[in-house]
Amino acid sequence: MQCADCRALLDAYVDHELPEAERAAVREHLAGCAGCSRELSDVERASSLAKEHLVHYRAPDVLKARISSAIAGERSVSASAPQVTRRRARWWPLAAAGVLIALASGGLTYALTGQRGASHGVADEVLASHIRSLMPGHLTDVQSTNEHNVKPWFDGRVDLSPKVPDLDSAGFPLVGGRLDYIDGRVVAAVVYARRQHLINVESWPEHGPDEDPQTTNARGYHLVYWRSDNVEYWAVSDVEPGELTRFVEEYRK
Amino acid sequence: MAHGTADDFDARILPHLDDAYTLARHVLGDEHDAQDAVQDAALRAFRHFAGFRGDNARAWFLSIVRNCCLTLRQGRAVDRATVPFGEQHLAIVRDDDRADAAAIAHSDRALVTQALAEMPVEFREVLVLREVQGLSYAEIAEIVGVPAGTVMSRLSRARRRLASKLGVTDKEAS
Repeated sequence: MQCADCRALLDAYVDHELPEAERAAVREHLAGCAGCSRELSDVERASSLAKEHLVHYRAPDVLKARISSAIAGERSVSASAPQVTRRRARWWPLAAAGVLIALASGGLTYALTGQRGASHGVADEVLASHIRSLMPGHLTDVQSTNEHNVKPWFDGRVDLSPKVPDLDSAGFPLVGGRLDYIDGRVVAAVVYARRQHLINVESWPEHGPDEDPQTTNARGYHLVYWRSDNVEYWAVSDVEPGELTRFVEEYRK
Repeated sequence: MAHGTADDFDARILPHLDDAYTLARHVLGDEHDAQDAVQDAALRAFRHFAGFRGDNARAWFLSIVRNCCLTLRQGRAVDRATVPFGEQHLAIVRDDDRADAAAIAHSDRALVTQALAEMPVEFREVLVLREVQGLSYAEIAEIVGVPAGTVMSRLSRARRRLASKLGVTDKEAS
């Protein structure tokens, strides 16, 4: 075996990817060639440095939450209308959101009694925004686990800078913030996580008497509406209703 | 066990999210882009899982992740080329990442990371798939869509770049 042939096979030799006959030939050449042996130790060193220093990352919990929420949405769509999603596979982000929004609109059970909360259109739009936020790249415009980054980001972008309490110790880490368009205006959306689920809180100024939280649900998602100090709030998520209620209590503190 | 059911998807694809994120993170070099690519890939995998008949769900999923990464990279390149001025992208505030900061403080790790970042993406992906994920040449070939011989030559060139990067520094240090 020539040196050039040996060197071309050194990586496969190190990786145990050579058939035994070639492996034996390389081993034999290495035994009598100092140059190729040095080359071998370079390859081994590079390989072990890469193994040692290249990070094997853990997928962040927020990513897992985004994926499980989005797949839950897909499942509820495909259970009802498998052909529609398949045919529109190339348009999947918009198609999936659109189908889900259409189904949700048809299936919303409006248990809300409040004057403002009885407005079906707003609940639909809040749910549609939540579902859209689960699509890749749509969750946050500002991504940060620190409320001191998220809250100032809204200044000048919306009429009212939203509440961004630190709820990490209560089990609801902050994910980030986003702008949405609801009821004909740009509104603030603040995103929290709960284990593998996401919670969106939409809020905007709206004059009127304070209203206590009221819960409704559609298609596996839960919505809580309330108003305080002339601000209207909507929290929406696929967490258990009890968890969302507890989240709203913490958020309102 | 029947292939391609929803329960199968949870059992056969979701356990590989760490690997998927690791590949995306190294290929794209940005945590937010990596999250977007992996989410995109997971949804695509979910939609096509019913038609998947192979045995190696990890390699199948990672090939989708890789394609999503490359698509996202191309989109980014177009953005940079066609959007010269103005606030086209909303600001991203990044939190301090203590793990990264600690890693950078370690010189070998910093050099390896830097050498990886400077490589063409086709070297970078084979190095990560081999050294971090421990995949065989045949699996890497399937994911990347090239013959196993090409995997070997790319891996070889990637390691030589790494060796020369660290070798040069050793001489400077002594």
